[in-house]
Amino acid sequence: MANLQHIRRRIKSVKNIQKITNAMDMIARSRFNAAREALLSNVPYVAKTKEIMRRVMSQMRGQEYEHPFIKTRNELIAEQQEGAGKFLFIVIASDNGLAGSFSSNVFKAAHDTIEYDGTSENSSLDDDDDENFHRKNFDALKGVKPTGKRTPKQQRQMSATGGIARATSHQGGGTSSGKNLAVTREYNDADYIDGIELITVGRKATTHFRQRGYNIIKSYHGISERPQYKYAKEISDLVMDRFASGEIIDVTLIYNQFKSAISCAPDEVTLLPIVTDDYAKSSANLKEEYIYEPDVVTLLDKFLPRRIATRIYGAMLHSAASELSSRMNAMNNATDNAQELVGRLNLFYNKVRQAGITNEINEIVGGANALE
Amino acid sequence: MATILLEVATPDKGEVYKNDINMLITRSIDGELGILPKHANLLTELIPNAMRIKEGGGETQLFVSGGFMEVTPEKITILADAAEMPDDIDVERAKDAYKRAEERVTTYKSAPKNHEDIDIDRAEAALARAKARLLVKGVPIP
Repeated sequence: MANLQHIRRRIKSVKNIQKITNAMDMIARSRFNAAREALLSNVPYVAKTKEIMRRVMSQMRGQEYEHPFIKTRNELIAEQQEGAGKFLFIVIASDNGLAGSFSSNVFKAAHDTIEYDGTSENSSLDDDDDENFHRKNFDALKGVKPTGKRTPKQQRQMSATGGIARATSHQGGGTSSGKNLAVTREYNDADYIDGIELITVGRKATTHFRQRGYNIIKSYHGISERPQYKYAKEISDLVMDRFASGEIIDVTLIYNQFKSAISCAPDEVTLLPIVTDDYAKSSANLKEEYIYEPDVVTLLDKFLPRRIATRIYGAMLHSAASELSSRMNAMNNATDNAQELVGRLNLFYNKVRQAGITNEINEIVGGANALE
Repeated sequence: MATILLEVATPDKGEVYKNDINMLITRSIDGELGILPKHANLLTELIPNAMRIKEGGGETQLFVSGGFMEVTPEKITILADAAEMPDDIDVERAKDAYKRAEERVTTYKSAPKNHEDIDIDRAEAALARAKARLLVKGVPIP
């Protein structure tokens, strides 16, 4: 009989869990609708900014033009021979778990990008995407012969001072990541980590990268589900400052791009520097020059920061919608599974109960027979 | 009559306006601009203003609170921080904003030294926005 009670208890607890997952599903669903609205209202703006950017940049190509954010690849390499800065990555994930593979997907993409060393061929990213040239930049910089100073890659290997202590002290704690061999290799590799800075959005991202010893210069918590423009502005101001001062030489944004209610995929965007070479492909569609009012420098000074901030904001909105849709799906599945489990447990419970009753009857019949 | 496509997009309201129009009159930081079809390529920054859109013989007004405008011969793209059709404008709010901003600007102007806590750029921008909103709505400025 104790067994019966045991099963009853289990059924009860599964039902309770089901109630919770169901509630979370509904909460995610209602928030998702708001997040999708926000995203859909933002998409045309970001797309148009990108279009204008492409036209202006393809025209900018080949012209002697001075703006700290805009470079040709040759300029980038030339500058690299003089000094070296760090690489900065902005990783956008979620505050809470229970969203299926949402966070782990973006972390995986982030590790692929951050630890890219010019050898990996598993790029699933579209090569024609003129918003993503981190790898191209890296490849270009890798060939740089240092004249006196070091290239970023070499800098990473040489200035391993603070990095080692940080990374080794975390070796014990990070064993949970053992399933991903590439990651374990990298977070033990302190030299690598030292040339990298991270800005994280979402508690999950912060914990993940802190555990692996990365240098997180700023993190934002509590905004992943409902992003606000002012945070995107803050991030973009920070990275532009650091970029302008030469501390960092490459800013890449990694986030989950929302595709539909049932699918999202990690995407990466290089925010800085803006390399005009990568806009070359579309240069054919505009032959005439632009008139800039008041003049090109003043205008780009205002336009580029705006473009970077809106790109980050757009990514946050994408990430929020993806997070909520992932959670919706995960919780929906959990509820279904709980339902199935309850069904099976009920069947089992009834079987045990039936067996108990049969047993009792047998005993009574046996007892009555013995009396005769 | 020749037409040119006008698209106005904002970060949080999506595409506010999209139509083939005959002429657009707006205000950039360098002054008033009239854009007709087949205009040369142009990229400029807009200030808060009441844009006048001429289409099919009529004229509509549209409020933009600054942003960027790109013109190609076939298409005008405006990336506005905010843009509102006359029907979407809250007159009372605009009036209040106007009063507040005007107050701040006048106090600052009377004695700039004593009021360094006032962000004059912001106040003036707010004033310009409120003014443009009231203008679009056709409300006399108090």
